[in-house]
Amino acid sequence: MTKRSIAAAVAAVAAAALVMSGCSAPADSGKQTITFMGWGSDEEIATFKTMIGQYEDKYPDVTVDYVTVPAGDFATKLQTMIASKKTPDVFYLQPEKVMPYADAGIISDLSSFVDDNELFDPANVWAKAIDMYRYDGTTPGKGAVYGLPKDISAFGLAYNKDMFDAAGITAPTDDKPWTWDEYAAAAKKLTSGEGADKVYGSGPYSLEAAVWSNGGDWLNADHTKVTVTDPAFVDALQWVADLNLVDGVAPSPEELSSQGDYDRFVSGKLAMTGVGTWAQGGLWNDAKFTWDIMPWPVSPKTGKEAIWYGGIGFAVAKSSKHQEAASNLAAFLAFNEDAQRTNIEKGQAIPNLIDMAKDEWLNTGKPPANKQEFIRILEDYGRRATQTYTFNSDWFTLFNSNLASVQSGQQTAAEYTASVQQEMQDLLDKGIAEQQKK
Amino acid sequence: MPTTALRSRRINRRERAWGLAFVTPIALQVILFSLVPVGIAVFASFTDWNSIRDTRDFVGLDNFAEFLGDKYFWIAAGNTLYMLIPIPFYLLFGILFALGSHRRTPGSTLFRVLFLLPYVSSIVALVVLWKWIFNYQYGLVNQALAAVGIQGPDWLGDPAWIKPTIVIMIIWKMIGITSIYMLAALKNIPDVYYEAARLDGASPVRMFFQITLPLLTPSIFFLTVVGMIGSLQTFVEVQLFTSDGGREYSAATITYYIWQKAFGSGQLGLASAAAFFFALVVLVLTLVQFRLSRRWVYEGE
Repeated sequence: MTKRSIAAAVAAVAAAALVMSGCSAPADSGKQTITFMGWGSDEEIATFKTMIGQYEDKYPDVTVDYVTVPAGDFATKLQTMIASKKTPDVFYLQPEKVMPYADAGIISDLSSFVDDNELFDPANVWAKAIDMYRYDGTTPGKGAVYGLPKDISAFGLAYNKDMFDAAGITAPTDDKPWTWDEYAAAAKKLTSGEGADKVYGSGPYSLEAAVWSNGGDWLNADHTKVTVTDPAFVDALQWVADLNLVDGVAPSPEELSSQGDYDRFVSGKLAMTGVGTWAQGGLWNDAKFTWDIMPWPVSPKTGKEAIWYGGIGFAVAKSSKHQEAASNLAAFLAFNEDAQRTNIEKGQAIPNLIDMAKDEWLNTGKPPANKQEFIRILEDYGRRATQTYTFNSDWFTLFNSNLASVQSGQQTAAEYTASVQQEMQDLLDKGIAEQQKK
Repeated sequence: MPTTALRSRRINRRERAWGLAFVTPIALQVILFSLVPVGIAVFASFTDWNSIRDTRDFVGLDNFAEFLGDKYFWIAAGNTLYMLIPIPFYLLFGILFALGSHRRTPGSTLFRVLFLLPYVSSIVALVVLWKWIFNYQYGLVNQALAAVGIQGPDWLGDPAWIKPTIVIMIIWKMIGITSIYMLAALKNIPDVYYEAARLDGASPVRMFFQITLPLLTPSIFFLTVVGMIGSLQTFVEVQLFTSDGGREYSAATITYYIWQKAFGSGQLGLASAAAFFFALVVLVLTLVQFRLSRRWVYEGE
């Protein structure tokens, strides 16, 4: 071997290293390529592929590079891409990320696009679905729009109608929801058996439903003070825990860790539990009995129903070089009729388009019969989860971290909330300080 | 002899060029994928690097002050030390298993394969399996306990039990690989030692403590060092067994804490500082081990 060939070898290695570390610039042409990143079940991904095909037919100059990651890895992956300045042009956005991402200049303001576009009529979209992505720089839910809804979901109270019939119980109607006492009494009648075969009347009762209905909340109205030690909050938390501890009509946290409430419900070992609109499709397959949705029971103190709604949105990266194409893709996926129809067919969510939800969706003939209850949640008593109103939800994570000690009776609601209140407040203050730092 | 000197120098030069050519790829790899990232991480430790807000300002020792003053960091540190508990257990069982399958008895190969199975299986699959074994109501363990009238604990949910559960799983997982190492070390012990001992009338127990064990100490030492580093880095088990580090952060390790800070809240500066600090601690502990090893590790005549 000569020296020259050695030099060539070294040069080749160096060149290879260069290729590894850098990347070549794409040739500039009239064609635009935008990246879209999301997650989903195999079915959802297949549906999106079809819709992206339709989008590309409509906009022949644009090619969409659709990237899917497992739901659990999405946040990490997105964060890494943002840090390395490779943010996808369009990506899934959780409502609680609107504030930090908007403040950091990661996501585009889509307001002007919403007001003036060829793809949808804003008046035919649930106000709550779009408001989740509004932020005016200080308060979420107001101001500029930073995301378009992929879907909107509501949390309903499902019940096993066969079990109700067998126990001689009639579910309450919209105009006359049960009180907590009536709910607990019904749950008692529906509870039977022992040990592993025990049938429970109630699932883990939604803490939001209980706390809000009782007039309490995690935070005060402007989301600056932790209010979990208020009697309205404490009493509601204790009532939820007592369904297990005192009444024995709901499974313990240990039992729930063995088998979740959804699995218990579909196997006929649980008569009532909270299910989201996303679970409809699963219940069509899994539930071998008649089931339906009833209004959320109300606190005897207020008589008011309450529950949360949520959803995922599409955001457009501010760094995207193809704002127009990216916004069009987001809108196409959010409001295209075919796209929204898959929400109905797969039982995934409530369609974003109001006319479609109220007509096609209500009349599909598939369970639940009382889909109107979900519409009521969106139009009437549904609320955004409290933690989506704050800059970060560390305070909420802390609150949940040892909530099981109340549910299993190691601490009372009053003891627990008193023990975490100050630390929650510190974390909330930290988030507020961070928001103001900008 | 000038010609030979010249020739040898030429050979030297040629060899050096060749050497460089062969060293370049690995050198580049070390520089690009080890030294540069480590350098960046050390530098980042002193900045408020945030992946969302994209800040990179120098903040001195603020990051160190922040995590050292964070009570969750210290909970995680305690949990991380707890993860050292498996080491003596799997070393002991590893040696016993190796002794058991050392002699060519029928089925010894089968057993060796079985021992190694947990180690070569995907950790995700193992955790799923163990989640079932330790399931509160339907798990094997609690059903077995119920058969003798004991109500087993909520292994995975109860803050008092989650760490022992992880420890048990790690022991089970590591016994196989430990016994393979020990087996290799056993095979290296010359038979003449035993023959000589037998001629002198030594009992099997005596032979074990006077011959086998001392000659195994280099392997035991190696496995202790590697095991300690591995234990201190426990992460996947925590992330898969719990979704949030467990109730009251009862299962979170330092690696988990760093991961949460870096990818949960985007505080890359803080996470780098904690990682840097932790790496120093591991380094010091390893050096101490090497130092102590002189007292008990057999290094040949």
